[in-house]
Amino acid sequence: MRHDSPEPAYDVPPDRTAVECRHCGRPFDSEFLLALHRGRSHPDAVDDDERQAYEEAYDAETSRLGRFRLKAVALLVLLYFGFLMVYAVV
Amino acid sequence: MDRRRRSIRRSVRRTLPAGVTALTLAALARPVLAHGGSLGGAARESLSVPTWLMLATGGAVVGASFLLASFVTDRSALDWLVERRRPVGLPGERTLRWAVGALGVVGLVGVVVTGFVGPTDPLSNPAVVIVWAGWWAGFAMSTYLVGNAWPALNPWRTIGAALPDLGRRYRWRFGAWPSVAGLLVLVWVEVVSPLADEPRVLALTVVAYSVVTLAGTVVYGPDTWFGAVDPVARVFRYYGAVAPVGRDADGSLALRFPGARLSTDLLDGVDEAAFVVALLWVTTFDGFVATPAWRDLARGLVGLGFPPILLYPGAMVAGFALFFGVYLLAARLSRRTAPTFVASATLARRFAPPLLAIAAGYHVAHFLGYFLSLTPALAAAVTAPLATVDPPLLVVPGWFGGVAIAGVLGGHLLGILAAHTTAFDLFPGRLQAIRSQYPFIAVMIFYTMASLWIVTRPDVPLPYLP
Repeated sequence: MRHDSPEPAYDVPPDRTAVECRHCGRPFDSEFLLALHRGRSHPDAVDDDERQAYEEAYDAETSRLGRFRLKAVALLVLLYFGFLMVYAVV
Repeated sequence: MDRRRRSIRRSVRRTLPAGVTALTLAALARPVLAHGGSLGGAARESLSVPTWLMLATGGAVVGASFLLASFVTDRSALDWLVERRRPVGLPGERTLRWAVGALGVVGLVGVVVTGFVGPTDPLSNPAVVIVWAGWWAGFAMSTYLVGNAWPALNPWRTIGAALPDLGRRYRWRFGAWPSVAGLLVLVWVEVVSPLADEPRVLALTVVAYSVVTLAGTVVYGPDTWFGAVDPVARVFRYYGAVAPVGRDADGSLALRFPGARLSTDLLDGVDEAAFVVALLWVTTFDGFVATPAWRDLARGLVGLGFPPILLYPGAMVAGFALFFGVYLLAARLSRRTAPTFVASATLARRFAPPLLAIAAGYHVAHFLGYFLSLTPALAAAVTAPLATVDPPLLVVPGWFGGVAIAGVLGGHLLGILAAHTTAFDLFPGRLQAIRSQYPFIAVMIFYTMASLWIVTRPDVPLPYLP
């Protein structure tokens, strides 16, 4: 009972190239994200190469997440003590 | 005179500063102002922290909550939070529904009758007290703290069901825009007219709303009207998405984690996201028009030949356009920060529901103390509807400010966690999901700082109102 024309779920700008998932056709910005998508959304349909690509991408992302968390902790500490000192001065 | 006349609404506006101010201070474990949550305007005067620091702290609280949420990257844990259910059985659901519906109709008739013939003192008049304390404060809180019972209570739905239904087709391409406009109009009327203080005006407004609503249900049918057009039903339905009790797709009642529905695909389009943003904006508007900045701007505009009658509608629409424009910009930027090719319209639709938790948090901070302080008036209104009783205001204890803090803080935490879960549902990459939220977190920080700025301004009488 809704809008007559459902909005497109994906929108690739003309100046960009997308890699498409061969199982569902969704466009992704990089092979890396596509590999993650295949492993997560089509775990039963992937072949051995795709499974390996997924595991490698997942591990690479895990180490990137580790670095992100370090930065997040540093920022939280900075925020906390920064505000503590500002409140002490003001 | 002005203060007295607007007594009920003034007290509402003054509770927000206490809640939000206290939040920013509590974030740094400084209990200095924790006493400021009651009806009094003490919070503003006793505030010794400079405005810029308060704004920065408010923004930092939101940002820090996001950083903390970003540590949760386990998809199965997030799925568990969203999908956990416990079925709730309601004994005698049909009878209960009928009784609640009857109560709604009796309430509506009572409000109209006592509004026209009851005492003119607002605190003694049942219409004023029931509408503002009972319905807009108390019932609205129940919709997001417990569950949305409005479809059962809604008297216009009950009456509309008994009226003929012409079954005219609604133009779905209008989507939710009529209800966005309806919400802006209702709040505009609330701000520029003495709705909270003059029972006759309130009763007239209720009658006008009833005529429009019942006409709508006759032309389009109750389901279409309350599902698509009526702003009040939409407000409560959206608030209900925050609540722990709600109906699943199959119609059965279930208990879930508060806010769990906010990360599901709740909205149908950008128009419904616009309604969520409008809901946040109208709370801000109510405070904004009482600031000196607005008074000066209004005088300047009128000096330039702007018609005074268009001042408030103009500000209402312009402010909403700003809030919504910033939100749409965030949805576009999110495509770049993630990066993703998901359409920005889809992102705007999926990331809007988490804002509802923030709106609910502000509503608690606004109205919980207000509701409790008016409970004696509410009791008097129901037991002695036609007597001028001058009921006492319940004095809310000092520690109550902490509850307002918990409301705002809890709303923000729920909202940020819901946005986080939404991102993990949308994107295959975990880091991509975190990065997609950057613009939306920036928007939340902007909304928070905008409301904080407004509540730190001195409260002045509204300019250019009769």
